[in-house]
Amino acid sequence: MTRESNFAHQASFRDPSGYMFYDGAILRRAINPIYFPQYTKLKETGFFATLIDKGLLISHEETSVSKEQIILTPEKIPFITNPYEWSFEQFKHAALHTLKLQKYALSQGFILKDASAYNITFHKGRPVFIDTLSFDFYEENTPWRAYKQFITHFFGPLVLAKYHGTDIFKMMQTHIDGIPVKLIASMLPKKTKLSSTLFTNIHLLAKMESKHKEDYKAETKIANLSRKAQNNILDNLFNYIKNLKLNEATEWGDYYTKTNYEAAAFDAKKELIKDWTTALNPQKLIDVGGNDGTFARTVLDKVPHVLVTDIDSNSVDHNYRQLQKNKETNMLPFVCDVLQPAPGVGFNNTERASLIERLKEYAPDVTLALALIHHITLSGNVPFEKSAEFFATFSKHLIIEFPKRDDSWAESLLVRKREFINHFDFYNETNFEAGFKQYFTLEKKETVAGTKRVLYLFKTKGYGG
Amino acid sequence: MIFLYFDAGTGAMIVQGLVAAAAGIILFSKGIMYKVKSFLGLMKEEEDTYDSIDVEEKDNGANDKGK
Repeated sequence: MTRESNFAHQASFRDPSGYMFYDGAILRRAINPIYFPQYTKLKETGFFATLIDKGLLISHEETSVSKEQIILTPEKIPFITNPYEWSFEQFKHAALHTLKLQKYALSQGFILKDASAYNITFHKGRPVFIDTLSFDFYEENTPWRAYKQFITHFFGPLVLAKYHGTDIFKMMQTHIDGIPVKLIASMLPKKTKLSSTLFTNIHLLAKMESKHKEDYKAETKIANLSRKAQNNILDNLFNYIKNLKLNEATEWGDYYTKTNYEAAAFDAKKELIKDWTTALNPQKLIDVGGNDGTFARTVLDKVPHVLVTDIDSNSVDHNYRQLQKNKETNMLPFVCDVLQPAPGVGFNNTERASLIERLKEYAPDVTLALALIHHITLSGNVPFEKSAEFFATFSKHLIIEFPKRDDSWAESLLVRKREFINHFDFYNETNFEAGFKQYFTLEKKETVAGTKRVLYLFKTKGYGG
Repeated sequence: MIFLYFDAGTGAMIVQGLVAAAAGIILFSKGIMYKVKSFLGLMKEEEDTYDSIDVEEKDNGANDKGK
């Protein structure tokens, strides 16, 4: 990817303390003199060292120091996921992580000056804080200035998800600074006013915010809040969020017990994927429609970094729990609807990059798309060449499974077309191959033993090697 | 001096006193419930994989978990 050197990162402009920029291909962080006192204190007291040591904050190296600027080089994160791509458990953990950092900061005489959900991402199997300049000095007896932001970015969306499902997280795409408190309050059932945590943190907050919204000159005297009282807020929010569960709580119904093929065929498919993938020796792999990561796990020990994405937030949640349990550090699950991938949002539409842009930059060596094309084609009405174009924008090699017309799942999708079924006569192997050959060359093709599915290995045209 | 580059919200600053008061009561009663439950052996195992809010440090505060 070509990029000018010293090109400021598109997401990094709101904080006057410093900014991120690309020095060639390396992402670095510049600190402005306005933040030197904080930075020096955070460094000298060992605050940064402790957080980095505990894996709570992304590590960095001090690259250069001058009177005008300090340059840090943070550890590289292969792929950034945004809040609207997190599962419920991931969102919860990001929120808990923020509270944990604020509580620790407070105990050391600092605060988190903002509580943006974009300051957290997932790396090595767990949440990590990525905005090194978000810490500031604590002034005794002042309330937490980022409190409202915590509610609009974390607490509100989580509580709303409890009642309305995880689709609520997509609202973060349209509200880059979190869901407005008034909107959160209006979307919650009346009974939530009976919960003292929800009443005070959301309903009362909404009321107070609208009461004081005309305080143009910031004249109202800011109330005092002791450190102990602030700790109570943090502890209570932490406990509440930790115990939050989705109301729709669909039990994880093991998807793979619902396959339409035998266990032997399942193993045959695994073997085939493993063989083909291993032969390509990929450094990065993405499994699109990868469910709970079952197939990605067959190659996890051979590929240094693996993304697994699925439309079903529940599957992503299940995958995330599994990888935490197994302590797998090279797999990153996230939620994505292939028919509607995350757009570029925020200022200039570039503040948070679209999924396609992030995938292009990530440039996976192998893309897996198993049991997916019949959904894209038959549920999404996407022609084969359009699907091919989608995969070709970011893939080098594509391993894709094609369920034939007489596969029971493809059949059931076709039957649902009722009187329009003959509009989908194009759904067959010949047309599939013709569509994909516009963007790819066919390398391998094999029927999965015991199924009505064909596995293809394609190479994107224009990629050497 | 705090250089705040976004509006913290006047209402949000004022309300924290009340939020903290409610939180204090909840935490206090939870603390009692916790003691009663653990005395009766009714503690459930936690499902969530995220650990506690407290950062455990080697040198200080190891015994002061604040709860």
